Amino acid sequence: MVDTLFLGIAVLTIVSAIAALEMRSLIYGGLALMGTLGGIAGFFILLDSPFVALFQIAVYVGSIAVLILFVIMLVKRELIFQKKEDPKRRYAGIGLMLIIMISLGAVIFNSGISSITTDEPSVDYREIGKDFLTYYWPALVVMALVLSSSITGALVLARRHDGVEDEQRTD
Amino acid sequence: MSVIAPKFRLGYLVKGITDNIFWIIVLLTLIGIPVVQIVLIYIDFPVIDGEIWNPFRVFDAMTHPERALPLVKNFMQTDLFKVVAFPGFGFAALIAATVIFVERKMLAKLQLRIGPFYCGKVEGILQLMADGLKLISKEIIIPAKADKPLFWAVPVLFAATAGAFVALIPVAPGWVVADIDLGLLAVFAVIGFFPIITVLAGWASNSKFPFIGGIRALYQMVSFEIPLILSLLGIVMLTGTLNLSEIVESQVNFPWIIFMPIGAIVFFICILAELERIPFDLPEAESEIVAGWLTELSGMMYGLVQLGSYLKLYAFAALFVVLFLGGWNGPWVYPIEPIAEVITDGIVIMPDALVIKDIPGLPLLPQEMINGTIWFILKTAAVIFFILLPRGVFPRVRIDLLLKIGWYKLIVLAFVNIFIALALVYSGIIGPGGIL
Repeated sequence: MVDTLFLGIAVLTIVSAIAALEMRSLIYGGLALMGTLGGIAGFFILLDSPFVALFQIAVYVGSIAVLILFVIMLVKRELIFQKKEDPKRRYAGIGLMLIIMISLGAVIFNSGISSITTDEPSVDYREIGKDFLTYYWPALVVMALVLSSSITGALVLARRHDGVEDEQRTD
Repeated sequence: MSVIAPKFRLGYLVKGITDNIFWIIVLLTLIGIPVVQIVLIYIDFPVIDGEIWNPFRVFDAMTHPERALPLVKNFMQTDLFKVVAFPGFGFAALIAATVIFVERKMLAKLQLRIGPFYCGKVEGILQLMADGLKLISKEIIIPAKADKPLFWAVPVLFAATAGAFVALIPVAPGWVVADIDLGLLAVFAVIGFFPIITVLAGWASNSKFPFIGGIRALYQMVSFEIPLILSLLGIVMLTGTLNLSEIVESQVNFPWIIFMPIGAIVFFICILAELERIPFDLPEAESEIVAGWLTELSGMMYGLVQLGSYLKLYAFAALFVVLFLGGWNGPWVYPIEPIAEVITDGIVIMPDALVIKDIPGLPLLPQEMINGTIWFILKTAAVIFFILLPRGVFPRVRIDLLLKIGWYKLIVLAFVNIFIALALVYSGIIGPGGIL
């Protein structure tokens, strides 16, 4: 059962990743990217970590993909999409991809990761939270500072200057 | 007075009916019965009580409640029943239909109009069925330059996403379609799909009004998602769980709205914005941009989107009930235990005439489930009433005001709510090991 699921999700992920690169229509490319990210969420569910999977869906499929679609819709298509028919570049790209995949595969297969079998239950997200609050607290504080400063920065950047608002009101 | 069918003769009607009956009998004999027989060859019937179950025993069971009731009870525990009927689609769609009718009628009363009046003689009670029939029978028009696959997919996706949202809502103890450990996170993940679908609807129609509506919906939903998520973090801190059923169970003594009124208010305003309801109905502003992102949808496609949006309304109201108002918890309004004599002696329907006795599985539904469902529906109806009410009262806000409310006020208030929750936890009042 899990094997069929794994195969299905793997096929979905890879096919939609290729589609995201190769589609002529940018909107469909963005949708295919959503498929890829959703497939990765499926992998997380198969790996017994639904917490990460749901965050993957909420953040990547829900928000990042929306931003990508938004940008695609707002930008004129001709400005960013000029198709260059250059077979050399295509073959070079495929060759580069093959080299990277073969070397990565060699590394993974030689690392002995396929012979590891474990019966340990999956890590509870509450444990991760406890670790964050105790041992890794400096990282948590740094993350909190970065996030809050970025929220404040976004608010400041998005703020309209009063002069502009008054000018519009007089219009 | 106009006549609907001026050439009506009773003889024509009788002839038409008998013709239809004749053809039905002929087709059933020639096609139906062979098909049934071929299908029966390939179906393995289960063995129940040492006898092979066959279709004729269904009628047998109908006349013997002691055989039918356990079957019905078994069926009510299956996933199919949960998805299709009770906590899932059927229940939610029934509530959605009621909401549509109540909304039209109540708004009419608020604005001193009459509202639906003629269909069904009594206060237009059949108006909804008439509208549904109209939508089904209308032609589906697709704009010539629309992106056809996306345009077809949008209504289905919208209704399906709303259905997925409904599936996460616990209605009564144990009665939830998907009781997952991370229910609240799943809710956030599902909510994130709605802006994508609306903006795709706007883009796929290839028309100005839907596109403006879609972009507005995107602005609005994405910016109100953040305070929505932040306003619920306080409850997660206090209960220490993300499972919606456990969050309900933690409110046996008091609902969380007592301790987190600010979070409840922020969440309610965010619900209004996420549902595109007045005063935040900019994506569908019918006096500015026709119908916003719904402009080009016609026929049953529009019907599906409407169904989805009212399912979404029910789901958000139910989420408010589950998180802030204590879900199914409430005083017993239904007898707690079935009376002991009923179980042993049966029910006397007519004295000395008919006694239903010793029927296994007679309390078909657990008492706590009925009681919980009653409370859940009452609370949900109250919340839905408050969601509907602004539509009769408020004007539409401007988009910059809307974004300013979302980004400046609601996020700050949501953080205030989180600090209240933290103070409650660290002062040892609620939470793990607290006083209450």
